[in-house]
Amino acid sequence: MAQQTLLSPAELAYLHSSLSLSPPIRPDGRTSKQFRPLTAETGILPGTNGSARVCLADGTEAIVGVKAEIEKTADPLGDDGERYREYVKSASGVGGGDADEDRREARGEWLEMTVEIPGLRDDDAGTVFLAELLREALLADGELARKLWINRRFHWRLYLDILLISPPLSYPLPLLSLTTHLALLATRLPRLKSEGDEDPMFDDDWEAAPFLYPRQGAAAGSRPSITLLVVAVGDSILFDPSKEELAVADSALAVSLCEVRRERGQGSMEVDSGRELRLVAMRTIDPPSRLTPPGVPSTANLAASGTADVPLQQKQQQTADEAPQEGVWKAPLGGTPFAVLDSIIQAVLEKGGVADEVLDGLEGVDLT
Amino acid sequence: MADRRRINGPGGSTLPPVYDDTELDAVSLRQRAPDAIRPLYLKTGVTPSASGSAYLEIEPREGKHGSGMKLACTVHGPRSLPRSAPFSPYMVLSTHVKFAPFATKQRRGYLRDSSEKDLGTLLETALRGAMIADRWPKSGVDVVVTIIEGESTRQDAVERRVEEWDAMNVLGGCITVASAAIADAGIDCVDTVSGGVAALVADKDGGELSMVLDPVALEHESVLAACCVAYLPNRDEVTNLWFRGQLPSTGTHNYQTLVSKAVQASKGVHGLISASLSEVIENSQA
Repeated sequence: MAQQTLLSPAELAYLHSSLSLSPPIRPDGRTSKQFRPLTAETGILPGTNGSARVCLADGTEAIVGVKAEIEKTADPLGDDGERYREYVKSASGVGGGDADEDRREARGEWLEMTVEIPGLRDDDAGTVFLAELLREALLADGELARKLWINRRFHWRLYLDILLISPPLSYPLPLLSLTTHLALLATRLPRLKSEGDEDPMFDDDWEAAPFLYPRQGAAAGSRPSITLLVVAVGDSILFDPSKEELAVADSALAVSLCEVRRERGQGSMEVDSGRELRLVAMRTIDPPSRLTPPGVPSTANLAASGTADVPLQQKQQQTADEAPQEGVWKAPLGGTPFAVLDSIIQAVLEKGGVADEVLDGLEGVDLT
Repeated sequence: MADRRRINGPGGSTLPPVYDDTELDAVSLRQRAPDAIRPLYLKTGVTPSASGSAYLEIEPREGKHGSGMKLACTVHGPRSLPRSAPFSPYMVLSTHVKFAPFATKQRRGYLRDSSEKDLGTLLETALRGAMIADRWPKSGVDVVVTIIEGESTRQDAVERRVEEWDAMNVLGGCITVASAAIADAGIDCVDTVSGGVAALVADKDGGELSMVLDPVALEHESVLAACCVAYLPNRDEVTNLWFRGQLPSTGTHNYQTLVSKAVQASKGVHGLISASLSEVIENSQA
């Protein structure tokens, strides 16, 4: 997803220095922890099990449709698998796992995800990377795969298709993640009527179909994860970076977290503060700033100084190679100290921080 | 999407054979100390036609005829970009990670699947930070890593479904072997980057949690969380961080310690890379 940003080295240097100030001055006037405003709705596609649309203020828009299909669970050992396992059990004398434990054996491959971004090939490495990142975050808590288990012989296969409608004006990760989160919250699967390992039979009343992530009752614990994109510029940490901010970022990190609702004690009247944020996945994103053109200091620029003082110029070129000059843009080199990454993660997981704000905002979306 | 230009084997209806007569000790526990990495063999310059190449082998577990991991990497370039490519003030890095069709229990096709592309992108992130790309304008470098033999070739890996945790070990190996091959090609880097993996595992007896370096998922009852880093030891910087899993909310096991363990593993691997490279230099001088 190496988009060429059309910013000159001088503009990049200006942006970088204004973003490194404390507090940082962002081009669109947001504070460092402020998200761009967004509109969201769910249940827009009647032909799907669940769908959502999110539109960001900068005009980027994404649609997610969730489709579920029943599939026969393939035994990795083929038709002889059952016999083989019994043989192993009798031969090794070990229990080989409780019967109850194999019963709920769920596999991550039951969730399939595709991302479609206009202007990019669907087998583009960047698109595949985005899809894998989101998929990994959703599966990391193991809860989603368990929900797809029907019985020992059958499971649901969930297809999550993400469509970015607008051209990607910035790195679309937060947008796609929030849309996926909402679509999964709105997803319903038909109610199972059959019992045990029978061929599954479902209630054909759509009104009776339970939500994949129920909101009330005992099972209201887990929620799908969300992924936030955070960048570090100098000493400041910026959430939800725009394209220009990404172009000067020193490092970018995608942090996925998942909300765990603690069960409230019976009869306790405490206010709903039982939200616990749990880190489930992290990945470094290659910041596009590494591909930006470097600036030339005016002392080394022949056109600016007008003198062809060759030895002086060579000397300056050598120094320019080592020490970055103030106000002259140079693409970041090397990695990120772990202290910086750690402060990013701390900022994401902070109680009452950005993640809480985003989750509160998503909670307000009407699920139909 | 099926590859229509080659005659491939059957499309997936076949099953790998199951042999009953192998020994059935499914429980094989980790013999190494928690902070020990497996022995490695690294050799650079194995492919004379490439500008840089390296081969990495990770030792199989003790007393097992099963496999460790075998990786080969070739680096082509820096060479000039094709005429049709747009101008770039930097070296254009492209990375390819490919499992050989026979590397895993389940046969892999010739086309790269999504996990291989994903590993390629992660490897690219890890390497790009280390290379001084502005010294090679208008040129391109291809880094091709082939996994000749993966870790999960054994039956029990398929049965216990631990392949998903192997991706981290594969990435760690890819980073190490690619870094050695880049050094062999003589491409300027700020430091030799090395990959390290650490995991939080639960063992059968009592469910005690512990953190181990260079984990092999098969040797543990379950893996709760794992982390792979690409680390520049001389600058103390991380070029790529990949973390996945769930850490208990209470207790001393947090992501900071997991990352520092992974960094410790990559420091161990870095020693191997520098030893291997200095051996090559000594041999060429003699």
